[in-house]
Amino acid sequence: MMKIELTEDTQKLSREIQSLTGENVNLCYQCRKCSIGCPAVYEMTLKPHEMMRAIQLGLEEEVFQSGTVWICLSCETCNTRCPQDINIVRVIDGLRELVMSGHVDYFNPHPEIPSMHRLFLKLVERYGRIYEMGLALILNLKMVDPFKDIDMAWPMLSRGKLKLLPHKSGGVEELRRVMSKIREIEGES
Amino acid sequence: MRYAYFPGCSLSASAQDYDMSLKWVCRFLGIELQEVRDWVCCGASSAHATSHLLSVAIPAISLSHAEQSGFDQLTAPCLACLSRMKTANQQMGADQALKQKINDLLEDEYQGTVQVLHPLEVILKDVGLDSLGKGVQKRLSGLKVACYYGCVLTRPPKVCQFDNTEYPMSMDNILRSVGMETLDWAYKTECCGVSMTLTRADMVVHLAHKILRAAKEVGADVIAVCCPLCHANLDMRQNQIADRYGERFDIPVLYFTQFLGIVYGAYSRELGFHRLMVSPERALENYGIL
Ligand code: SF4
Ligand code: SF4
Repeated sequence: MMKIELTEDTQKLSREIQSLTGENVNLCYQCRKCSIGCPAVYEMTLKPHEMMRAIQLGLEEEVFQSGTVWICLSCETCNTRCPQDINIVRVIDGLRELVMSGHVDYFNPHPEIPSMHRLFLKLVERYGRIYEMGLALILNLKMVDPFKDIDMAWPMLSRGKLKLLPHKSGGVEELRRVMSKIREIEGES
Repeated sequence: MRYAYFPGCSLSASAQDYDMSLKWVCRFLGIELQEVRDWVCCGASSAHATSHLLSVAIPAISLSHAEQSGFDQLTAPCLACLSRMKTANQQMGADQALKQKINDLLEDEYQGTVQVLHPLEVILKDVGLDSLGKGVQKRLSGLKVACYYGCVLTRPPKVCQFDNTEYPMSMDNILRSVGMETLDWAYKTECCGVSMTLTRADMVVHLAHKILRAAKEVGADVIAVCCPLCHANLDMRQNQIADRYGERFDIPVLYFTQFLGIVYGAYSRELGFHRLMVSPERALENYGIL
């Protein structure tokens, strides 16, 4: 049987997660219910229950390099079913926060996903609302694949589904103020 | 009853058909919707992936606008917006220190009195199943509908507090009460993967394929949805699914409000049918609607 050494070092990650999210991953007893119901598990090198174990063991590198945190769809299935009532999505969000804020810096097999989140929030900050056409265009250009999903563009345009120009919200000034204050509190990433 | 209306980014752009049909149905049922003053995007999955504080603060801005305008109930038809707003409310309610922090950021005094509801909840609460059948002008009997609820209408139950978590029936019951036939099936709440739309289209196509296949297997003629994001995936990806898996479904995907609109006698144009990718023409041809 594998012996688990609980040292300061191995507990660093689980403690960090607990202080960031309030969730105690040590409650996980590996029943695997989370992974069985997870719709994205087929794309994960580290399945949700394995990720919980890896956090318990302080295997930071494995956790972040697996990319599981970015593949998760935030669909809340695991949360709903966990018999230990661990908010797994909140744990995953905590891990994402550690990456987004620059606290950890490991190889990420899916860099386009955090890039998308940054871009999304930039557009939200500029317009107060999401301007789908702009988001899709900039993102495709960044990923050097400007024609991705182009087959959907014309049917969407012809049905008036894509707006060519952004629409600004009247609440944008207030939103910008809030977002910049949060950046001040949490430190620019 | 009067509700603050939070359309969200999708309903003001790609999902105008949902916006049109929802407003039509609410007018018909005597539910008054008033758009939230200067609402801002809910932050969707990008805010909660970036900062917890941000994920609560952004929806709190619009919630506080609704509260200031004197509303105690708000309806959000998009599941991403709904989930972000319900979560923000629940967390501020459970954590006074967080609420104070948010109010400091907003330079505001949000009391947390605005209850957030999906239009399905509003219709059930305000009109009720017994009264819904009264205004029916057109019968759609014989048409087999699979109701798809998506991921976060009922999950997690602590936050959503609506319907049965694993096997919701609210949309089925609403459509049945206006004489429609809905089916039992296993994919009602299976996630369609929308958060990956722009980054991992392959995953979205894979998940949408499984959902459409399950609907077809139980004999669905059409699918009813209650979220613009689910709709975008299931309606618009059917060509890509055919290319990738060699399986062509051509199943029309309509908002539950579009079905209600038809049975209550609206014209298809008023319900935005011309915006659908998979035309419902063939499925509905025997009913003299289009
Ligand atoms: S469902 Fe909960 S207890 Fe079971 S393996 Fe997953 S996290 Fe651990
Ligand atoms: S929230 Fe993420 S980890 Fe949990 S079931 Fe959904 S996709 Fe899987």
